[in-house]
Amino acid sequence: MSPSKHSASSQRTYTILDYRLEKPRFELRQVRDGDVVRYEVSGTLNSPVPPIRDSKYLSKTQCIEIYRWMLLNRKMEVALENLYKQGKVVGGVYFGLGQEGCSCASAYALKPDEWLGPMIRNQGSLLVRGFSPRDIMMQYMAKAGSPTEGRDASSHFGDIQERNVVAPISTLGDLIPVLAGVALGARMQGKNIAVMTYIGDGGQSTGVTYEGLNFAAVQDLGLVLFVENNLWGYSTPADMQFRVEDLAERAIAYGIPGVIVDGTDPCQVYDAAHEACERARRGEGPTLIEAKMMRMKGHAIHDAAEYVPKPLFEYWKKRDPIARFENYLLNVKKWLSRTENEKLIADVDAQLEADREFAVASPMPEPESAVGRPYCSPECHEIRPKYAVPKIRAGKGSVQKTSEAAVHLK
Amino acid sequence: MPTVTYLEAIRQGIWEEMERDPAVFCIGEDIGIYGGAFKVTDGFIDRFGPERVIDTPIAESAIVGAAFGAALTGMRPVAEFQFMDFIGCAFNQITNMVAKAHYRWGGPAPLVVRGPSGGNVHGGPFHSQNPEMYFVHTPGLKVVCPATAYDAKGLIKASIRDNNPVIFFEHKYLYRRIKEDIPADDYIVPLGKARVARSGRDLSIITYAAMVHVALEAAEQLSKEGIELEVLDLRTLSPLDRQAIAHTVRRTNKVLIVHEDVRTGGIAGEISAIINEEAFDDLDGPIVRLTALDTPVPFSPPQEDFFLPKVSDVIREARKLRAY
Repeated sequence: MSPSKHSASSQRTYTILDYRLEKPRFELRQVRDGDVVRYEVSGTLNSPVPPIRDSKYLSKTQCIEIYRWMLLNRKMEVALENLYKQGKVVGGVYFGLGQEGCSCASAYALKPDEWLGPMIRNQGSLLVRGFSPRDIMMQYMAKAGSPTEGRDASSHFGDIQERNVVAPISTLGDLIPVLAGVALGARMQGKNIAVMTYIGDGGQSTGVTYEGLNFAAVQDLGLVLFVENNLWGYSTPADMQFRVEDLAERAIAYGIPGVIVDGTDPCQVYDAAHEACERARRGEGPTLIEAKMMRMKGHAIHDAAEYVPKPLFEYWKKRDPIARFENYLLNVKKWLSRTENEKLIADVDAQLEADREFAVASPMPEPESAVGRPYCSPECHEIRPKYAVPKIRAGKGSVQKTSEAAVHLK
Repeated sequence: MPTVTYLEAIRQGIWEEMERDPAVFCIGEDIGIYGGAFKVTDGFIDRFGPERVIDTPIAESAIVGAAFGAALTGMRPVAEFQFMDFIGCAFNQITNMVAKAHYRWGGPAPLVVRGPSGGNVHGGPFHSQNPEMYFVHTPGLKVVCPATAYDAKGLIKASIRDNNPVIFFEHKYLYRRIKEDIPADDYIVPLGKARVARSGRDLSIITYAAMVHVALEAAEQLSKEGIELEVLDLRTLSPLDRQAIAHTVRRTNKVLIVHEDVRTGGIAGEISAIINEEAFDDLDGPIVRLTALDTPVPFSPPQEDFFLPKVSDVIREARKLRAY
């Protein structure tokens, strides 16, 4: 990514790696159409769907595993939608429809002792890390057995012991400095790890996004940041969120490598994630990966997303990640027979049905459990370094006795 | 026993914890080679190295966020804010990310956010604030405001060892103005416990930080008139020591709450409500509060002087309440 050093002119050039096999250009504008103002899309919207780009790293078994995660992700969200329509869900439901390849293939690149910070549409990544569909269903149904014992909703949960997941909060970008800090803590314990989190085309506008990523860059922390450009921040299109052509260009401003992938191609997503994680493990610092795709439902279940222009929706519908990957595995690579695929799908359905039954039957919390544990006592958590006791490399010296303040305030 | 200033006591406390526990580290702006704007971490980087004394860009959200992330891996960060007035820049991280983590998802945050607060140093609106109540108001945080060198050292050590996020307000007026003999051994002062700074039977002053010394000076003068004030130094604002508050009310039956924080939403209101709940029948007069004005901290000395509670104000209000 570093700027070219040899140009005679006063211009610099930078490199952004782009793995995509198609590079569509379209624009979304607000236009007045008679009595209404609506969004209009223009650009190349009729190109054929490109093939899946063969992965440099994934084996046949691994591809099939990722495909299964994607199926589980998709079908779990269908089950959640059904639960919502049956009146069993408290509050709203958030979908990652069309983004399953990105969530699952990215998290798949992390090692077990590395960390994930998921955002609201990355429920697939939570499954990859070892949470089950019943965990997520119980979250939505606010059950006592949910990972937060009913105290928070949707994907707002985590695990510091085994699955190494940091729970998100509702404001955007806040996970970025936190995951950077996780990498910092690990490094102080002698280990360069990869840590991964996500931010949307909308969320990346926040100040804390900048502060966190800049801090990671300055400190060479192994933060792999997926910028999920799904074209919509609630009802606001990406074109109204930033002026750069591609969000991967933001990497230039931080002094880190930027990569663009097709977010509906799990092989591209995995390859970029894997390379970024390897960089992180070598102590070479953060990477920004922009995954291009589209959010195929509204912001949440209440949002019908009628503001999305139909031609744009149709373009991305043809690029459904599960349909593409299924075609790749069955017809291109011939790694799955029709029968094997049907069995795999039936397995996923059975798993989901068992989890759904369990979650629906599980109890609501006792009212008094609202009191919870705002404070952590030594009895509830033993806090010690996760990887290793940090090595002390102390210099000489004892604590200073006196020195003048450096400020004028006396 | 060594004689130290309030600031040196804090420095010693952090130093000793860093010697004792390799998981403790410092992060903040200009704390490394420079030793911090107020020199609290002077000498630290030479001893502990840049790995454990980390200078950051000017990014308070990142300082707190990264401290929290490191804490999740089992480290114990001490994050310095150059002035606690800047804590607003990390408000969302502190109140939403850090404070709620243990309650929501069992993610403990054993970190300390510390820095200089308070006025009377001609600092103006952005170098003199008392932002403590934003954090007293937030469940999940602990808020500490020491008034003595002894307490500053004991409380910073206890805060570092606490599994919870502690917001540690050091009063900058006290940094170099107070000197005490403190023990050389490893001692801590428990969080959540107030201290009787002066015993008396006639009237209780409940206060904290720099106002403790204002109250003690007023007590000296009133003693000559035969009025014996009891001064209760809260030390920890969250959790408040309800028992100590109730106990002093039962002893004297009259309460004057003094704080340098603004009037509205200052802790005097909270303490009044607690006294109402715990010791209403022991009151022989209204709870009186003496606070700063409901304005930003003004810059010009005559204005700041008018803004802050003074010894003469305490004496006047104490005499009035005593006579009720």
